[in-house]
Amino acid sequence: MSMERRRVVVTGLGVASAIGVDEASMWQRLLAAEGGIGELQALDTTGYKVSIGAEVDRPAVTARLESLGRRAIDRALDLGLVAGADALLQAGLVDEPPYQEQDVAVIFGTGVGSAQSHHTAFNAFFKKGVRGLRPTTVPRCMYNAISSGLSIHFKLSGPNYMIVSACTSATNAIGTAFRMVRDGYAETVLCGGAEGFFDPFFYGVWNNLGVLSTNPDPARACRPFDADRDGCVLGEGAGALVIESYDRARARGARIRGEILGYGESSDALHRTSPSADGQAKAMQQALAEAGVKASELSHINAHGTATHANDLTESQSIRKVLGDAVDAVPVVANKSYFGHTLGASGALETIVTLLALEHGMAPPNLNLDRPDPQCDLNLVGSEPVPLNSPLAMKNSFGFGGGNGVLVLRKAD
Amino acid sequence: MSDEAIIIRLRNILRDNSAEEYDWDQVNGDTTIESLGIDSLSILDLLYDIDQEFDIQLEGADVVDTRTVGEIAALLKQRGA
Repeated sequence: MSMERRRVVVTGLGVASAIGVDEASMWQRLLAAEGGIGELQALDTTGYKVSIGAEVDRPAVTARLESLGRRAIDRALDLGLVAGADALLQAGLVDEPPYQEQDVAVIFGTGVGSAQSHHTAFNAFFKKGVRGLRPTTVPRCMYNAISSGLSIHFKLSGPNYMIVSACTSATNAIGTAFRMVRDGYAETVLCGGAEGFFDPFFYGVWNNLGVLSTNPDPARACRPFDADRDGCVLGEGAGALVIESYDRARARGARIRGEILGYGESSDALHRTSPSADGQAKAMQQALAEAGVKASELSHINAHGTATHANDLTESQSIRKVLGDAVDAVPVVANKSYFGHTLGASGALETIVTLLALEHGMAPPNLNLDRPDPQCDLNLVGSEPVPLNSPLAMKNSFGFGGGNGVLVLRKAD
Repeated sequence: MSDEAIIIRLRNILRDNSAEEYDWDQVNGDTTIESLGIDSLSILDLLYDIDQEFDIQLEGADVVDTRTVGEIAALLKQRGA
């Protein structure tokens, strides 16, 4: 194993989101400023304060699963498989089954894990006691049902495990995968995040936490950095990336979709849910330093931007702190108004959007930014796409529990 | 319950616990369990689903010793299905 730090590139992208189950559709919807938030179809929200969310097209997911020879098992795993399959196909690592065993690691993030399987098990237990518990509840409910499901289905025999750090999970997973390849512990990693949690229990606990928007208009409810924002909107989804060493990608002639230059991570060490600008800034500074990139060189920042009052205010402060005088020149986008807050998948979906923005030289619009909050004093992209003037970008993710993860990315050469 | 009715209900349970794709309408009393892609872990879920469907608790040995769909159906009938 070489101690030399290797260049790490992205060669496959896969998505399952409320604005598309393939990256091309998702990018079209982003450029057209067409969000995917609506009244929830997956559950009856009678008695809930909130009734909206960002759902992934069910027939499209079912059809994609059938094409993989699978039936729906658990929503988070199902969405992870759909995104993972596309990333592997695009990278040219798999074709049609039967798959050949190959040394690829799987590092995925999730905040909630197998919510559907947990809900099914709780329901059966409360109705019938222990006799109601399905014998395979353990492998269905374990957090690594997602990473092991990908490993087993596609015969990926590198390590597989999950990173569970609330809304930072997928960014931590990509960052960990980046380090594995950079330092020679893995040649190729399938990484990302998956989340599928629209069940009465899980949606209920978020309903009661008081951080969800109560705006009754689904299209206008999620308003990152807007003065009239009143909370986030939940979304289900998954994003997957194949990353590998630059040398391997070149040697096998893979199409390179972007490069990961740096990763920073930190903890606020402060509060279970309230964020800290210092903790966030520390992760951003680490990522920029590792990448050897000055803040003024960034084409744009893909913010965590949850549209809660606290997140967007604190993130504005941390971005200002890190960017200093450059802050007015660097555009900021937030994607959650399109596909909701996908929690442990958000870092993966939004990293993919950041890479697509770099590839197209265009930052997608911010939805619902009708009246930018004067306290969020950033160069916020408005209702039209903005051309980008450099190949570099930064992606922020912050989570409950105070964990922060930041990636610095570059457009493919 | 008729033998036919038991086999139809059993067929749906077997389908849900198999990792393979078959023409499930063709599964009948003579079909062997071994041919349906039911592994040892899936047998546990199969017993669970039989219990939920018929309210009859079979043991793993009951099914392991049973070779065909028809033999499981006969066992269920014997236990009151």
